[in-house]
Amino acid sequence: MSTELIAILASWGIATLRSATPLIFATLGETLVQRVGIINLGTEGEMLLGACVGFAVGVATGNPWLGLTAGALAGATLSLLHAGLVLGAGANQIGSGLAVWMIALGATSYVGRTLVGQQVTPLPALGTDWTDGIPIIGEVLSQMTLAAPLALLAVIFAAWWLNQTRPGLHWKAVGESALVAAENGIRPTRVRVTAIMVGGLLAGFGGAILSVDYTQTWAQEMTKGRGLVAVGLVIVARWKPALVLPVCLLFGLTEVATLRLQSAGFELSPHLLGTAPYLVVLAVLVASHIFARRASAMPADLKAVFQ
Amino acid sequence: MPDSLVQFEGVTRRFGDLVAVDNASLDIRAGEVLAILGENGAGKSTLMKMLYGLYPASAGEILIHDAPDKINGPADAMRAGIGMVFQHFSLLPALSVRDNLLLSWPRTPFWKSRRNTDTADVLATLAELAPHIDPDCPVGSLSVGEQQLVELCKVLNIDARLVILDEPTSVLTPDEAERLHGFIKQLAGRGVAVALITHKLADVEACADRIVVMRRGRVVDIAERGARSITETVALMMGQSVERKLQRPPVLEKIVPRLVLENLSARRPEMALQNVSLSIAAGEIVGVAGVAGNGQALLAEVVAGVEPLTGGDVLLDGVSIARHNPYDAVATPLGYIPEQPRDNGVVGTMTLARNLALRELAQGNRPPVTGRDLLFRFNVNPPDPMKTAGTLSGGNIQKLVSARELGGQRQAVLACYPTMGLDLAAIEMVYAAMFAQAAAGAAVLWISEDLDDLLAGCHRIAVMREGQLVALLDNSSTLTREVVGAHMIGLTETEAAA
Ligand SMILES: Nc1ncnc2c1ncn2[C@@H]1O[C@H](COP(=O)(O)OP(=O)(O)OP(=O)(O)O)[C@@H](O)[C@H]1O
Ligand SMILES: [Mg+2]
Repeated sequence: MSTELIAILASWGIATLRSATPLIFATLGETLVQRVGIINLGTEGEMLLGACVGFAVGVATGNPWLGLTAGALAGATLSLLHAGLVLGAGANQIGSGLAVWMIALGATSYVGRTLVGQQVTPLPALGTDWTDGIPIIGEVLSQMTLAAPLALLAVIFAAWWLNQTRPGLHWKAVGESALVAAENGIRPTRVRVTAIMVGGLLAGFGGAILSVDYTQTWAQEMTKGRGLVAVGLVIVARWKPALVLPVCLLFGLTEVATLRLQSAGFELSPHLLGTAPYLVVLAVLVASHIFARRASAMPADLKAVFQ
Repeated sequence: MPDSLVQFEGVTRRFGDLVAVDNASLDIRAGEVLAILGENGAGKSTLMKMLYGLYPASAGEILIHDAPDKINGPADAMRAGIGMVFQHFSLLPALSVRDNLLLSWPRTPFWKSRRNTDTADVLATLAELAPHIDPDCPVGSLSVGEQQLVELCKVLNIDARLVILDEPTSVLTPDEAERLHGFIKQLAGRGVAVALITHKLADVEACADRIVVMRRGRVVDIAERGARSITETVALMMGQSVERKLQRPPVLEKIVPRLVLENLSARRPEMALQNVSLSIAAGEIVGVAGVAGNGQALLAEVVAGVEPLTGGDVLLDGVSIARHNPYDAVATPLGYIPEQPRDNGVVGTMTLARNLALRELAQGNRPPVTGRDLLFRFNVNPPDPMKTAGTLSGGNIQKLVSARELGGQRQAVLACYPTMGLDLAAIEMVYAAMFAQAAAGAAVLWISEDLDDLLAGCHRIAVMREGQLVALLDNSSTLTREVVGAHMIGLTETEAAA
């Protein structure tokens, strides 16, 4: 293979990975939440708050890692509101999720005004003087940060957690039936609160990656529905953490492709082109349903949300 | 005299006006098997659920040896060494057998991977009790009998001092039941007390040490094993004597095919039906025998139009009634008694009247005003059309479904284990209704695990193994249990004779 082709592939690969990373965190978080039988539309709000708080702390301290941590904590804190409304007050899950989203939207628009146009210290690139000499690999490493490898680790950890550990089993059990789980001595509410907070943590972290690492700017409503996309991608990934990775990468790839097509002057309405990632994911969803037939992977207790 | 482990002193439980358990006093001793008998709705399950902490007693006291604290819930009961297997299961169908067992096991380690040798013990009871069950397959793909065994393993895994089994054998094959009997005796030998609620006298004969009989909420008799004859016991249960009058149905005068299965094929993740062909004539009763989990459940659901088929067809008087693809929805014209009617046959939150009128409701018609007559005819207790179905006892739910499905004349009937959990009088009543359908010209397909009943009541017996019909036997007077049994497990007749 010519080095040129490899270089092009590498450039697409990096772009895809970078655009998918925030989404991977958010989708992974929402997957865990849905596995305990809760749906959280507030993911969008948690991402947004994470992006805003993460960026602000990053700017203020000059330390991007502090920014990311703060973003994650902000997401987790906001998710507690959803947990409280749904599990404490017995609110409708869809309504509660929307409320969380709206609150974050309002708050970040207000607080975020001062952040517009600010500069944040980016995460250091992975490349070192030592690797810079290596062809292609050196190039790739110099354009990457720790964010993407962290996303990969998070996916592996979540899959391990759900499938190989006792608490993960308890999570799955609660998602299948809180009633039966309780009959087996598990406390469903405690499990659900924990999972919702982990989901918020991951969504907030994903949001912070978006502002601190990927775009390195703050803009109002900058998540542009990524949190909602995450809720949908969970279904495409059939509620399996391991499938979150390919699904999000596919979404990222189409996004990169449309951006590049646009900048290459492709003659199609940019609005129409912008729908491409959603169409591709929709196609995958339909295909996966046809191939998997009726073997639904949906946690049984989640169905109750829609009844 | 062995120590008494549990003592009920004048325990009463009311549900509204209904007295489910009335001033019951008895004790359960370590190392004994206590059989609890009684007709449907006698209060057996309620009595034991109070012990397990699911319902508080309305009056009276339950004393548990060495457990001074009050039992406020199943968690307390488990801590006091009491385990219970319910008439309906507390399993998660989507999870594997192994995961279901790990869920309630007190010794599950943090890292629950198969590679962790600390988890090996959780499967020990399963290997002993049901070696044929693959621990990695999802519980939902198991037959009811197999699920029952998994549930049992769960309880045995908690090292209980007292194990309560609520009709454990009603869904087991004779083989499985025998293995369970052995296991129960072994448990008692180890000093564990076993409370065994059952309708099957075979269970009592096989392992009971003492026999408690309940009627209408009262404990009417407690006797040592052997102190009463079977007829005495039955008379105590029913307050009257019941004779078995299952009769061989009359020979058909002419064969008019009514319900026809043509080369049926269907698939589920764990089970495939292959080319099942069977023609049932008007007035004919065809039994389906087979070891649990050999495709009977799938066959029933395909014939009833619940599960889509992948090939072939089901014809009723020449008209297809099957579900041909997953997007079809079929309202079956059959009288259909599904397996596990609590889950598959009633809407627990609706009244009895509305449950009797499910078909009309589904079609958007105004339901008939009341079904009181039907409830009385099928002996549903209490026969109150305004009661919610979920509060009925296990056997009465079964009767309710029979009332709906067999209450009016049908062209064809599909009955899966129609007598599951019924007392003797109710069994006779359901059989009578089913045979009356045949006598009036319905084609009857009857899936059962009770070979004696099939032999007593069928024109022909089809045997299922591994998703196929492996034999179709004329039920002449020379057909025996052994021959059918041999087909069930795949022996040829000569091997069976040897
Ligand atoms: N939760 C409940 N609410 C109202 N009534 C109930 C409830 N549970 C049981 N009952 C009633 O209490 C009576 C005794 O029920 P129980 O389940 O103990 O009967 P059972 O002896 O176990 O019968 P079966 O052999 O049919 O299982 C029945 O009349 C039943 O309708
Ligand atoms: Mg009962």
